[in-house]
Amino acid sequence: MPANAPPPSPPGAAAGRAPRRPRGRLDLGAVGLQVLAVAAVVALVVYLADNVSTNQRLLGIDSDFSYLDDPAGVLVAFSDFSPGQPVREILLVGLKNTALVALPGIALTLVLGTLLGIARLSPNWLLRKAATLYVETLRNIPPVLVIIFVNAAVVLGFLPTIQESFSLFGLVELNNRRLLVASPVWTDGTAAWLVVVGVGVVAAVVFAVLATRRSFRTGVPHRRVSRGVAIAVGVATAGYVVLGAPVALSRPVLDGPSFSGGAAMSTGYFALLAGLVLYTASHIAEIVRGSVQAVAKGQVEAADALGLSTGARLRFVVLPQAFRIAIPPTLNQFLNLTKNTSLGLVVAYSELTLITQQVIGNGSPAVQSTLVLMAVYLCLTLPISALTNVANRRLQLVER
Amino acid sequence: MTSYGGATRTHARRGLALLAGLALLGAACSSDEDDPAAGVEGETPGTDGTGGGGRGGEEGATTEGGGLLAEVQSRGNLVCGVNDAVPGFGITDEAGEFSGFDIDFCRVVAAAVLGDAEAVEFRPLTADQRFTALQSGEIDVLIRNTTFTATRDGSEGAAFATTTFYDGQQMMVRADAGFDTIESMDGTTVCVLSGTTTELNLATRFAAGGLTVTPLTFPDNEQLQAAFVAGQCDGWTSDGSQLAGVRSAFPEADGGPEGLVILDEVFSKEPLGPAVRDGDDEWADAVNWAVLATIQAEEFGIGQADVQDALTDENPDVLRFFGQPIDDGEGSTAVFDPGLGLDPEFAIAVVEQVGNYGEIFDRNVGAGSPLELDRGLNALWDADEPGLMYAPPYR
Repeated sequence: MPANAPPPSPPGAAAGRAPRRPRGRLDLGAVGLQVLAVAAVVALVVYLADNVSTNQRLLGIDSDFSYLDDPAGVLVAFSDFSPGQPVREILLVGLKNTALVALPGIALTLVLGTLLGIARLSPNWLLRKAATLYVETLRNIPPVLVIIFVNAAVVLGFLPTIQESFSLFGLVELNNRRLLVASPVWTDGTAAWLVVVGVGVVAAVVFAVLATRRSFRTGVPHRRVSRGVAIAVGVATAGYVVLGAPVALSRPVLDGPSFSGGAAMSTGYFALLAGLVLYTASHIAEIVRGSVQAVAKGQVEAADALGLSTGARLRFVVLPQAFRIAIPPTLNQFLNLTKNTSLGLVVAYSELTLITQQVIGNGSPAVQSTLVLMAVYLCLTLPISALTNVANRRLQLVER
Repeated sequence: MTSYGGATRTHARRGLALLAGLALLGAACSSDEDDPAAGVEGETPGTDGTGGGGRGGEEGATTEGGGLLAEVQSRGNLVCGVNDAVPGFGITDEAGEFSGFDIDFCRVVAAAVLGDAEAVEFRPLTADQRFTALQSGEIDVLIRNTTFTATRDGSEGAAFATTTFYDGQQMMVRADAGFDTIESMDGTTVCVLSGTTTELNLATRFAAGGLTVTPLTFPDNEQLQAAFVAGQCDGWTSDGSQLAGVRSAFPEADGGPEGLVILDEVFSKEPLGPAVRDGDDEWADAVNWAVLATIQAEEFGIGQADVQDALTDENPDVLRFFGQPIDDGEGSTAVFDPGLGLDPEFAIAVVEQVGNYGEIFDRNVGAGSPLELDRGLNALWDADEPGLMYAPPYR
């Protein structure tokens, strides 16, 4: 499905099946043509591959993959990669960085997109129009521009330099190079405290189960969530006080030209992640809106007739059915987001494509490197694609 | 049976259309793919079917004559891979006109090969793209601050001509940042272009000093400059000449040239020169001697304005260089042609239309430019402060 696919149509609209040819009859003419077509494609691919390798040989360029074992020679920002390590390992660093954007990106996109999609259906005029403005603007801009905009307007234009880093009680430091957050450090008492926390969680779960049973027996509201959380937090806090602050904090401190301590995120990463999430969420919002509208009107009317509140109607009647319709196109958007991480090169984020360009620029053969790059992206996206197909098949069968 | 007959015919028609489409695609691809091969497989003209493509016939004709030299001459213009973002070396102005040191050497090659310094099509390339463009035959010659290295010569399919600029990598920092040596830059973030030798040298230099560095890698100079201006990196490393160019053109709003310091330490050798595709010696020779002619002309002390006078010079070396008849003292005259495939008078076009090496240097990067670079290593071998510029004898 293309990126700008229209929202899904209501159930039942596309259920028509083409009439089938009777079994047992083989149309030799059609089969012959298909065999010819396949042969032509194979011949073309073989011819092109041979042409490339011949030209490479004549130019003295290697046409095998032994370059993967050569030293990469370059450094990678925010990683402990050393220049002596081979090309295959720098590619793994790039793959890890790609995943570091794709996975949180998918989660954040889903949340933002769902909220926007529901906002587009809101009875509140201002909210509805604001969401419409967002969606119609963002989804009609190329994602690379969104990323460049975030980088230029927020990172380069708004954030202070490292010397004038914005600080929040020394716990959070924000500048145009990094976002740093104070991070917990393992100490002697940490293990004991984690055990206490575990005990608290178990106690909370046990309470929840008992409260649920009692509620079924007596009809008294169980309040298992609020009280369970209170129990877990209470035990953890008590343990923390008793053990005398068993977890230390590593605060980010400006140490000459760079920060030390804390957990850091580069601003290139932020620009890429934010740009992709903002962009992809606009597509998810359209899918959510379309799917909600595709739920049969009678369902909503029935829920109203039962006296369900707006929230309960959404939660128990509309959304469960809408999600069924929304899942396949949503997975497609996840696929797009994963592929669009390759735009990280415009903000100097060392993801797979940038790293591949670096190694090509430093002596690795372009054709093989690009083939490897394509193969890796295929390995990342084919499973998502397969999942989409499975979801498509299963959900269509149980459509109500 | 009859009820499916219609369907079968439709199938057949669709299948035929598909095959026709594939055939067209194949033809288009093969003519594209043969294009780069034309130069390399020049010794077997005609065996390679360039069928289908509209340019097939024309190409067949040019490969008959030999390699890229004949192809460029029959095409009538030179496609030159250049930089468009380094002041002094290769940059475009508001009107889209290219200018710079490397640009002038594109014109030198065009003047030598075609007799017209303006018959150049400039193809701006990023550092990452340049060798792929050269390998695939998209450009005839690459003159884009390209360092001559063993790997590029050996496994990138490139062959280098005479070095036009001896350069070295340096580090530029903000004047108020307080860095005065590379050693003082431990733990800093440094902006660098991707796919360059500078990227490799940065890693080597900091490792040698036991220093840590965070590289920020950008594909082009505009993005890099934006990051540097905003303070995302402490240093900007590149070839010294490029840094001088960037510094000279640094916007006043961002501190101007005085706000920046280029550290003294030169931590690499960067001989920059034109590169051509491996396997076409005739073309490589033509490019090489076009460049050498500018150096030779400076050795003779002949500039743009002196060419016409020099044609009647007493010195037989000068006459030979400009392809003028030399009286051998016994009444017969002969024009010297070293067999480079160039017009015997190619040096006239080069020097008259573009200038000698010294003029090209001064105009773009030297005393007559905002960069004000010293000749340094790029002085002539016989200058008062000798450099490395030396042209083999033209005879």
